[in-house]
Amino acid sequence: MKGIIFTEFLDLVEDKFGLDMVDKIIEQSKLESEGVYTAIGTYRFSEMLQLLQNLSTNTTISIDDLLLTYAEHFFSVIESSYPGLLATYKDPIEMLASIENHIHVEVRKIYPDAELPTFVVEEKTENSLTMIYKSSRAMHHFGLGLMNKTFEHFNSTAQITLEKIKEDGTEVKFIINKNE
Amino acid sequence: MSQEQIEILQRALKREKAARKAAEKILEDKSRELYALSEELKISNEKLAASVTEKSSQLEGVFKNINDAYVVMDIKGNVLKMNSVATNFFGYDISKEKLNIVKLIYQADATYAFESFNTLLNTGSFSNYTARIITKKKEIKWVQINATIIYDEQHKPIAAQGIARDITELKNLEKQKEKILKELEKSNGELYEYAHIVSHDLKTPLRSIDALVSWIKMDNEGSLDATTLQNLKLIEETLETMENLISNILEYSSAGSGTSESQDVNLNETMLNIQKLLFIPEHISIQILKELPVTKGDPTKFQQLFQNLMSNAIKFSNKEKGIVVIDYVEKPSFYQFSVKDNGIGIEKKFHDRIFKIFHSLNKSKESTGIGLSIVKKIVDLYEGTIWLESELGKGTTFFFTIKK
Amino acid sequence: MLKLEKMKKPLKVLLIEDNMIEIMKMNRTVSLLKAKHEITEAKNAEEALAILETKTNLPDIILLDLNMPKINGIEFLAILKNDPDLRHIPTIILTTSDNRKDILECYRIGISGYILKPLKYEEYVSKIEIALSYWSINELKSA
Repeated sequence: MKGIIFTEFLDLVEDKFGLDMVDKIIEQSKLESEGVYTAIGTYRFSEMLQLLQNLSTNTTISIDDLLLTYAEHFFSVIESSYPGLLATYKDPIEMLASIENHIHVEVRKIYPDAELPTFVVEEKTENSLTMIYKSSRAMHHFGLGLMNKTFEHFNSTAQITLEKIKEDGTEVKFIINKNE
Repeated sequence: MSQEQIEILQRALKREKAARKAAEKILEDKSRELYALSEELKISNEKLAASVTEKSSQLEGVFKNINDAYVVMDIKGNVLKMNSVATNFFGYDISKEKLNIVKLIYQADATYAFESFNTLLNTGSFSNYTARIITKKKEIKWVQINATIIYDEQHKPIAAQGIARDITELKNLEKQKEKILKELEKSNGELYEYAHIVSHDLKTPLRSIDALVSWIKMDNEGSLDATTLQNLKLIEETLETMENLISNILEYSSAGSGTSESQDVNLNETMLNIQKLLFIPEHISIQILKELPVTKGDPTKFQQLFQNLMSNAIKFSNKEKGIVVIDYVEKPSFYQFSVKDNGIGIEKKFHDRIFKIFHSLNKSKESTGIGLSIVKKIVDLYEGTIWLESELGKGTTFFFTIKK
Repeated sequence: MLKLEKMKKPLKVLLIEDNMIEIMKMNRTVSLLKAKHEITEAKNAEEALAILETKTNLPDIILLDLNMPKINGIEFLAILKNDPDLRHIPTIILTTSDNRKDILECYRIGISGYILKPLKYEEYVSKIEIALSYWSINELKSA
C-alpha cells in the first residue's frame, strides 16, 4: 500500500485525536515499519488494517465510518495534487463511471505497483449509476467517501446505497442516484 | 510537559527522522535508477540515431547508385523527385524547372502511355511498359518502365514511383538483328539461286557429251569394235555418276538453308509421296507402324529426310525379304523417329563417319555419299539429333529427333 | 496409227537456245521425225524478239531455254505474254533447271509446258517427239 495513504491517515488522526492517539495506535500495532512512513514508500496493507482496528477500538468509531471520514479527507489531497485530472470532467456521474477506464489508468502511470480495486459499471443513465466494487481489501467505505466528495466537488449531491454482494465486503454494489 | 508526553514527542520525532531518511534513501535510489535509465536511454538513442543515419544513407545510396532512372511523381504526373540517372537521361533538372511526365511521352505511343497510366492508377502498378520517350534534347529513347502507386495511411493514392530502364541500345540491337536475319535470308536465297544456275551450267555439258556419244554410236553403227563400244558405255556411266553428284550437291546446298516456309506437315502424306517417288523392289516391304504425327516445317525437307533414309534402307537390302520399318515415339518437346531395315548393316567404326559429306561406304553410280549428309543437315535445322544402331549382316536402325 | 500420222501437221517452231550442241540435238531429233517441222533458231532472247517483232510468219510454238545471258528466259516470257499479238503462241520451257521457284514463276506468267532436259539423249529424243506430236495435232491460230 502506498505510503501516502499512511501519512495522510496519521496526519488526520493527529489532527482529530492528537499526537497521543497517533503514538498509541502505533505502539498497539505490531508494525514491521515501526510506524515510520513516508509518502513515497510502500508498506504492507496489514499495517493499515491494524492501525484502523486500534483506532476504532480506542475511539469506539466503526472502521467503515473511519474510512468514510478518511476518504473525504483524502479527496482534498487528490484535489490539490491532481487538479488536472479532475478538470477533465464536467459531471460527477461521468467521472465515477470512468474510474476503471481512465482514473485508475492514470494512477498506474504514477504508481505502477498500486493495488487498485475494480469498479465495473452495471448500468448508467444521465443521473444514475450502478457499479460493482471488487477488492480483497474490502475498503468500500473509502470508495463511498471519495464518491461523496466527488459530488460535492461538482456542487451536487447524491443518494448512494451500498449492497454487500459478499458478506466480507470484498464485493459490493454501489447504487448512485444524483439529486436533481 | 509530562514525562509521558516528552516520550511521545521523542518517539514521534524519531519516526519523523527515520521517515525522512527512508524518503531520502528512496529518492536517492530513484534518482540513481533514473540516472541509469537516462544513460541507457541516451545510449539506445544514439544507436537509434546511428541506425537511422545508416538506413537513410543506405537508401540514399540505393537512390543514387541505381543504374536505372528513378522517378517519383504525384498522381497528376508532376515529377517530385529524380535520381541523377533520371536527370541525365531525361535531360530535365527538376530543381530548376517543373516537369510533368506527359512532356516525356512520344506522340506515337501516347494512347498506350495513357492506357498504362490508367492501369497504374486502377491496379496500383504496371510492369514492363515498353515505349518510346522524348528527352529534352529531342532524342527518342526506348524505355522499359515498372511503376507502383504510393498510398497514404487511408490507402489514398498520393504519388507514383517508377524505374525506367533505357533499352534503346537493346532495341537497336533487335532491329539490327532483324536486318541481319533478313539479309541472311536474302543471301541464302541468292545462294540457292546460284546453286541452281551452277548446277544447270554443269549439267548442260554432260547432256552435250551424252548426245555426242550417241551420235558417234549411231553414225558408226556396225563399224565400232567391242572395246570402243565398251569405252563409250563407260563414258555414259561416268556421265550418270556426274549427273547424280551434281543433283545431290544441289540438294545438299539447299537442305540447310532455312527457308522461312514453315507450315503443318502431315508426315503420313509425306510417306505416300515418297512411296510414289521411290522405286521399291518387289521383295521389299515398307511398314509404317502407326499413324505419323503432323509437324511444323518445310514439307520438302521432311520428304528429303525420310526419302534419303528409306532409299538407303532399300539400296543396302541383301535379304530375300527386305523390310523397312518406320516408327516414332512422342516426347514432351520432340518426336523421335526411327527407320529400321534388315539390310547389310554398318560396322561400328563407321558410325560417326557416315554423316560426313562424300563419305559413302559403297561408292557407286547411285551412291554419291551425300544422302546422309543431307539427312544430318535437315535434322540439325530442326534442332534434333541423329544416331544409329546397327549389327553387321542383320540390319540398321537410324534414330532422329525433331523439335516440336 | 497411220491415220494419226496423216493428221499431224508440220509445225513452225521457234527454238530459243544459246547452246550450240543443244541446237544440234534439236535439229537432229526433228530430222528423224516424219513430220517436216520447220525449226527457226534464236541464240538469245534479243534475237528471238527481233524475229517476232516483224509480226509476220509467226511460229506455231516456241521452245524456250531458261538459262540465257542478258535477258533470261523468264524475262523473255514476261515480254512475250505482255504483247497482245504474241501472247497466244504456246511456249514450252525446255531446261535443265528444276528450280521449283522457276517452275512456279513460269506457270504464273503463262506457259504451255515445262520439259526437263534429261541426261540421256534417247530420252531427250522421245520427250521432244512426244511434245512436237502433241502440238502438231492441235488446232493452232496460224494454221
